[in-house]
Amino acid sequence: MRTAVSSRFREFARPYLGVYALGLLLLFLTNGLALWIPWLLREAIEKLENGSKLSSIAWLAWAMGVVAVLQACARTASRLAILGNSRKIAHDARRSFFAQLLRLDATFYDANRTGDVMSRGINDTRLVQAFFGPGVLNLLNTTIVYVATVVLLLRIDALLTLVSLTIYPPLMFAVNRASRRVYARSLAVQEQLATISNHAQENISGIQQVKTYVQEAREIAAFRELCSEFRRRNLSMAALRGVMLSLIGIVTGVGTLVVLYVGGRFVISGRIGFGDFVAFNAYLGLLVWPTIAMGWIINTFQRGLGAMERLNEVLAAQPQDSSGFDETKVEDSADPPREVGSIEIRDLTFTYPRAGQDGHREPALKNLTLSIPSGSRLALVGPVGSGKSTLANLIARVYAAPPGTVSIGGDDLNDIPARAWRRAIGYVPQEPFLFSRTLRGNVAFVDPDADDAAVKRAVDLARLTQDLEEMPDGLDTVIGERGFTLSGGQRQRATLARAILGNPSLLILDDALSSLDADTERSVMAGLDELMRDRTSIFITHRPSTLVGMQRIVVLEDGCIVEEGSHEELLARAGLYTRLFERQRLEQGLEDL
Amino acid sequence: MSSRDAPGKAYDAKMMRRLWGYIRPYRGLVTRSLVLLFAVSAVQLVQPYLIKRVIDDQIGAAKLEGLGFLALLFLAALVAEFGLRFAQIYVLEQTGQNVVFDLRNESFAHLQRLPSSFFDRNPVGKLMTRLTSDVEALHELFTSGVVMILADLLKLFAIAAILLWMDWRLALITFAVVPPTLVLTWFFRSRMRETYRHVRAMVAKLNIELQESVSGMRVVQLFARERETLERFGETNREHERAQLLGVRYDSIFTAVAELFGSITLAAIVWAGGWGILEGWVTFGTLVAFIEYSAKCFRPVQELSQRYTVMQSAMAAGERIFGLLDTPVTIKSPPRPRRIRERLKGEIVFDDVTFGYDPDRPVLHNVSFRIAPGERIGVVGWTGSGKSTLIRLLVRLYDVQSGAILVDGVDIREYDLAELRRSVGVVLQDQFLFSGTIESNISLGDPRVTREGVREAAEAVRIDRLIQRLPSGYDEAVRERGSNFSAGEKQLLSFARAIAFDPAVLVLDEATASVDPETERGVQRALATVLSGRTSILIAHRLATVRDADRILVLHHGRLIEQGQHEELIAKSEGVYRTLYTLQNA
Repeated sequence: MRTAVSSRFREFARPYLGVYALGLLLLFLTNGLALWIPWLLREAIEKLENGSKLSSIAWLAWAMGVVAVLQACARTASRLAILGNSRKIAHDARRSFFAQLLRLDATFYDANRTGDVMSRGINDTRLVQAFFGPGVLNLLNTTIVYVATVVLLLRIDALLTLVSLTIYPPLMFAVNRASRRVYARSLAVQEQLATISNHAQENISGIQQVKTYVQEAREIAAFRELCSEFRRRNLSMAALRGVMLSLIGIVTGVGTLVVLYVGGRFVISGRIGFGDFVAFNAYLGLLVWPTIAMGWIINTFQRGLGAMERLNEVLAAQPQDSSGFDETKVEDSADPPREVGSIEIRDLTFTYPRAGQDGHREPALKNLTLSIPSGSRLALVGPVGSGKSTLANLIARVYAAPPGTVSIGGDDLNDIPARAWRRAIGYVPQEPFLFSRTLRGNVAFVDPDADDAAVKRAVDLARLTQDLEEMPDGLDTVIGERGFTLSGGQRQRATLARAILGNPSLLILDDALSSLDADTERSVMAGLDELMRDRTSIFITHRPSTLVGMQRIVVLEDGCIVEEGSHEELLARAGLYTRLFERQRLEQGLEDL
Repeated sequence: MSSRDAPGKAYDAKMMRRLWGYIRPYRGLVTRSLVLLFAVSAVQLVQPYLIKRVIDDQIGAAKLEGLGFLALLFLAALVAEFGLRFAQIYVLEQTGQNVVFDLRNESFAHLQRLPSSFFDRNPVGKLMTRLTSDVEALHELFTSGVVMILADLLKLFAIAAILLWMDWRLALITFAVVPPTLVLTWFFRSRMRETYRHVRAMVAKLNIELQESVSGMRVVQLFARERETLERFGETNREHERAQLLGVRYDSIFTAVAELFGSITLAAIVWAGGWGILEGWVTFGTLVAFIEYSAKCFRPVQELSQRYTVMQSAMAAGERIFGLLDTPVTIKSPPRPRRIRERLKGEIVFDDVTFGYDPDRPVLHNVSFRIAPGERIGVVGWTGSGKSTLIRLLVRLYDVQSGAILVDGVDIREYDLAELRRSVGVVLQDQFLFSGTIESNISLGDPRVTREGVREAAEAVRIDRLIQRLPSGYDEAVRERGSNFSAGEKQLLSFARAIAFDPAVLVLDEATASVDPETERGVQRALATVLSGRTSILIAHRLATVRDADRILVLHHGRLIEQGQHEELIAKSEGVYRTLYTLQNA
């Protein structure tokens, strides 16, 4: 697992290795220049001790300034290189992740919740970015600074170096320990905040019950208790954070103390010069930040690796249907929609594939045999859970049917590229899903370059033209959560217009007109009559107005075909269809009362 | 983008005055924290001075004697800094936590008093944000806002004073670096703030795009629009990357420039100090002390502008929280309520009641009916007929738009709100158990309901045997929302709760959730006990439950269109009741 993960991310980093190398080089340069400054300081002080001329001091000051400017340039460039890389890597990873999402099929989305997928796409790529950016940068920087500084310190005085550096490991250890504990306690704080959140959410969702049973006071008391615990946990974290920050605050001072006491003695005894003394202190100061950063670096790497593993789970997943989207394949628009011949379904039994199967599941369709001639019209009727949508989903290849059970014009559906087949289909799903963009953008989803006339025609056929008047910008009204809110019926008709615009040879309506009133529905159906004259259409519906006059109706129950025939024939049979139809007629009648 | 991201005021006098009201109770803590801040600065700033003494008095004079003492002083300063800073951080956090604790509780308490219509208008998520992230943003105001700004300024002024005292000429030269640092810091920080705001906006956009693509994946795939969707996402992704790279640019330059200023100050001190040493008006100790002091003032200067951002978001959060606290409570007891001293008789009158959740779209139109004390009424209707609204009006979750509801001849708006709600026992469709014990769920923590009362109520609905079989009996814990009980058990428990108070009026919103036939029989038996001896209203979804009612009210599209006994109603051809009956038995 780990090796697969690291090789995948090596792939992501590979294009940027050159820039990383440059960044590393620049870091060497930056730190070389940074370390030069205390050295110049040392020289200046030695010159001052010897009472040399001001001009030579001024020259050294100038040199320090110039070195500082060069260092600033190198620092900027090194950060730009390495941090910039991380953003690019995160960008690439996010893109690959998204391309993979497009490739994965319904089985994946059934098994993974949207929130989880989102979290990987957003949070985990951010953690990966921290790994490749600040993580790598600080690791390189810390290593270089430590090695170089220790070498310089040793050059000044080995014993002093040894004494002053023995202070750092325990300090570092203490800071790390404290920060790890702070992290643990901050998790406890977050947990409690989540508990508070949950309590508030339950309270707000159940506010009517709370009021009806006059439970406000008790709810307030319970909330207060949770907040009290939250305060306690926060203070317990603050105590540790206080220790950590105070420790960090005195790290520099502790080094200085050693230099003062031991170094001071050395200067007085003449073992080192005063300039050495000052420079030594300055060098120790350079170690403070890298010392503190160490724990953070380890943490960043650990979390980055975890994130990569989670991302890789998605990236390595294989879609069941391998003929789906493939980013690398140049294809498509040239690939014409597949011709819709007659659809033959033979002895089809289908059980939904579920990830993490926990036992036997009932098949949704059982030994179903059905022929839909090219250019014909079919209505599917049946109680909830009878398999109507499953059948539509299999025909549209949302799920793959077992080989040899569904054929189109003589070819097994599984042998036809999924996307070429889908291009021939106009599918209007049960739940009208629209994107948060303009109405035009939604209708012209299949063909963004469609001309105005085509869009208007589709909108007109879906009987949306009149509704446009109440929208602020007509066709260019942005719809959705942060735009104009469409009614359920308008949403359904917009999705219908979207399907119509693709000029489909096969139209599937999965109970897609349920929110329309009877008049509008009749009008929509009349328009579709015209449009679908020589094309195949499948209506899943229980609306009496659609069913009356249908020549071919297939009634499903528990995944099997139980009745078949025209509306009149089925009514005459007085079976399941008649019961369903009567019920719908009564309900419709009630609505209209 | 959304208003949350817009930059706002960093200081709002009115808001601060209002906040002060919450801080006042803890002014002792605030004072202590300020004193500690002074102390921390003092022991911090004494350290460079000690270095100067070591250099001038010991090293310069080549005198070993006394070095130990100075080192000891330095150690003491370090230990004191450690201890004092720890105390300061802790005390400040205490202050912040206490203030935030009060604010959060007050907001929650106020929320409990707001009318149901408020909750219809405000999505749960938004209200949650008030209680969580907004309150947390105000917390930041304490830990890294006002007090820290004060601390930073204090430190800067103290350093300036010390430098001037040590040597005013050298101090002035050192100060020359401060204005450009301030200006550049401010310039970069404001640029960075803007860039980060842009980045945040892009992250939000990326989030939305991803969310939408994932939820609409089936549509994308059904219409074979993967490539275009990828391109669309790719564009947002690229925009996001560009915003980030701009952020990286500012961040990189800023980090480097901050370092640069440090080094340039150092160079300036070396040059001017060197001049002073050569001319004899500066000692080596002063020179080193200057270097140390100047290093200590960069941090506060740089952080000042970060604190500005914290203040900005705290002010915005405060505004939203106070907005919530200022929302008026519209449904409450009248100033001089009519007290319910004895059990009500239970007569209910709806007098020409019209009501809509949206006043322009009434869901009840001029509904009038009278229920005699002790009468058993069934209410039926198709989905959306307004059945459940009747109950909500009766217990004043909402107030009628026009008309009136009278109980025992008195307008319900004249009663004390809590007493009214306690007198009308309601069993809602959504079985709601509160966290606590079984006993507390039946007695609802009301001292008037004794332990015996709880047991009697449980016996009456025949759930006492089941309760006694639980490990802790009546003290068995009920988890959040009663997740450790079945639907049937919850229903029986809410029956027990309803009759424990012996209400004169009992309203049952029949549960649609299906329970197994065994439990169903139990519930039906319990129902008979529960209903006897009081006025009862049964909102029925299954017509079978109201067949025996004294009278059935039929609501349709918000109007009372039929009423009578089952047999009368069923006899009407083309009637709504008859149609409903046919539908249910089809």
